[in-house]
Amino acid sequence: MNAQTPYHVILFKSVSCVLKAEKILKAQKLPHKLIPVPREISPECGICLRFEAAMQDQIKAALADKVDIEEIRMIAR
Amino acid sequence: MSEIKIVDATGLACPQPVVLAKQAIEACEQVRVIVDNDTALENVKRMGTKLGCEVKAEKKNDGTFEIDLKRKAGVIESKEDFVPSCAAQAVSSGPFVIAFAGDKMGRGNDELGSVLIRAFLDTVCMQKERPDVMIFYNTGVKLTVQGSEVLDDLKGLESLGVKMLVCGTCLNYFEVKDQLGVGVVSNMYDILETMSKAGRLLTP
Repeated sequence: MNAQTPYHVILFKSVSCVLKAEKILKAQKLPHKLIPVPREISPECGICLRFEAAMQDQIKAALADKVDIEEIRMIAR
Repeated sequence: MSEIKIVDATGLACPQPVVLAKQAIEACEQVRVIVDNDTALENVKRMGTKLGCEVKAEKKNDGTFEIDLKRKAGVIESKEDFVPSCAAQAVSSGPFVIAFAGDKMGRGNDELGSVLIRAFLDTVCMQKERPDVMIFYNTGVKLTVQGSEVLDDLKGLESLGVKMLVCGTCLNYFEVKDQLGVGVVSNMYDILETMSKAGRLLTP
């Protein structure tokens, strides 16, 4: 999942939210990758989850009402 | 024919040798610069060529280099500033090595350390400048076996030419040798040799 193509990231309010979200996605076998928050979004050290655009609806549904999502952003390369 | 000016730049740190050499060739037609390392040699040669000089370098038996710079007749000196590359030369003096002493990044909290090592490896994959060699030992070997969260990243790096040495004793200790997913089983000799020859050695 490192191809230089546009991708989406989900940003969370805290590291523990990222980990909680990851557990849910893993259990449901929804492909994602834990990555550092891209520099263009924030210069601060942070982590977020990256996923392919086609997965957006499924991932949103899986996390709805379980984890607070701060924002979903598309990153163009 | 003018006299040759001698510039003894041995024992001087970059960029001193090239600065002295440049001052000398601007004042005299012929200069002999004596340096004692490759960085100074390359910088002085580059500076000479850029200023339009004839450049001849010779290695001496005592390990020093003599570089003869001679201004070519009619050549107008370049007015551009010459930028000596101290760091670039130092970097190329040995491979860039990352040693994974554990399957976490930093010490303190294991859950956080696992997250950080994954973010670290994702970032390594995104960098233009990749390491030449990655070494894995102690719990670091767990990163290289089946089921590892970072196995795909490591495989990607390996396919781009990054060499991966995985400690055989460690694989054996954790009883995961048959699950190795990337790199080659290595030994203390290769690991020590690679570390000691590294131009840069990182441990996350």
